[in-house]
Amino acid sequence: MAKSILAVDDSGSLRQMVVFSLRAAGYQVTEAVDGQDGLDKAKEAIFDLVLTDQNMPRMDGLALIRSLRQLPAYQKVPILMLTTESSDDMKQKGRAAGANGWLVKPFDPQRLTEVVKKVIG
Amino acid sequence: MTRKTLLSAQLKRLLSNLSDHGTQHLTEIETDLIQTNFLLGEAIQKLSASFMAIHEAVSQQQEMVDSLIAQVQPGPEFAEKLNAGRSEIDLHVRAAITGLQFQDMTSQLIGRTVQRVTGLRDVLNGLETGSADMPEQSDAEEIIAALIRINKVLEEQSVKLESALWKAVCQTRMESGDIELF
Repeated sequence: MAKSILAVDDSGSLRQMVVFSLRAAGYQVTEAVDGQDGLDKAKEAIFDLVLTDQNMPRMDGLALIRSLRQLPAYQKVPILMLTTESSDDMKQKGRAAGANGWLVKPFDPQRLTEVVKKVIG
Repeated sequence: MTRKTLLSAQLKRLLSNLSDHGTQHLTEIETDLIQTNFLLGEAIQKLSASFMAIHEAVSQQQEMVDSLIAQVQPGPEFAEKLNAGRSEIDLHVRAAITGLQFQDMTSQLIGRTVQRVTGLRDVLNGLETGSADMPEQSDAEEIIAALIRINKVLEEQSVKLESALWKAVCQTRMESGDIELF
């Protein structure tokens, strides 16, 4: 059975590229339009990996990670940030919130799928 | 009209005009930026849709070619050329996917600029309000006190605006960004 990924980003075009890249690599991808939508969808189903942007309306990526880590089902689920933010300060905040990795946009589809494969197989 | 009245009236007028004209120009800038963002978004959406359609068509063609090759059993030179073509397509697909993401970054930058424009308009509104509070006939001390009040409001609004903004998008390279696993 294909591994499932929750892709959270407020940019439609970015989500489209993430979905295209990961589906081509055989993953099942669900989209969420912001952190709150991501949290709602994560409560409805348990995903194998969460890939989230940082700067989003309603709920940002760090707040989403903190909320997900409060849920028993998501304490060990890998969460990767995919964001334009690249400062060490933000990466530290991500790590402290519970992120397992930090990817700076733009992504190369092959490198993205390699990382995802490394994290969830 | 006394000199005192003239000074405070002219100062009020200056502040009010600065606020009015500034607000008007900022509104125009905001409208243009929103329209630019919309057009850019539409263009990228269409490009993305075309890219997906082309990719789908190429994938189908590739499957047909693979099926034909399985029947014909071509020589190694032909197979090598086909593989080279496939690699080239993959390379361009990857480059296109990376390139199409730049709309997301420009959109964030435009959004940040719009926020700053809106904030600056609020700052100018503070200037307008401050000048309206100034009495028509003010002496130098009253004018100074009014200007200090206005300055304070401007500084507070400027700090508030800065703290509300997301960090700037700093990417300058057109290739993919760094990856770090914790």
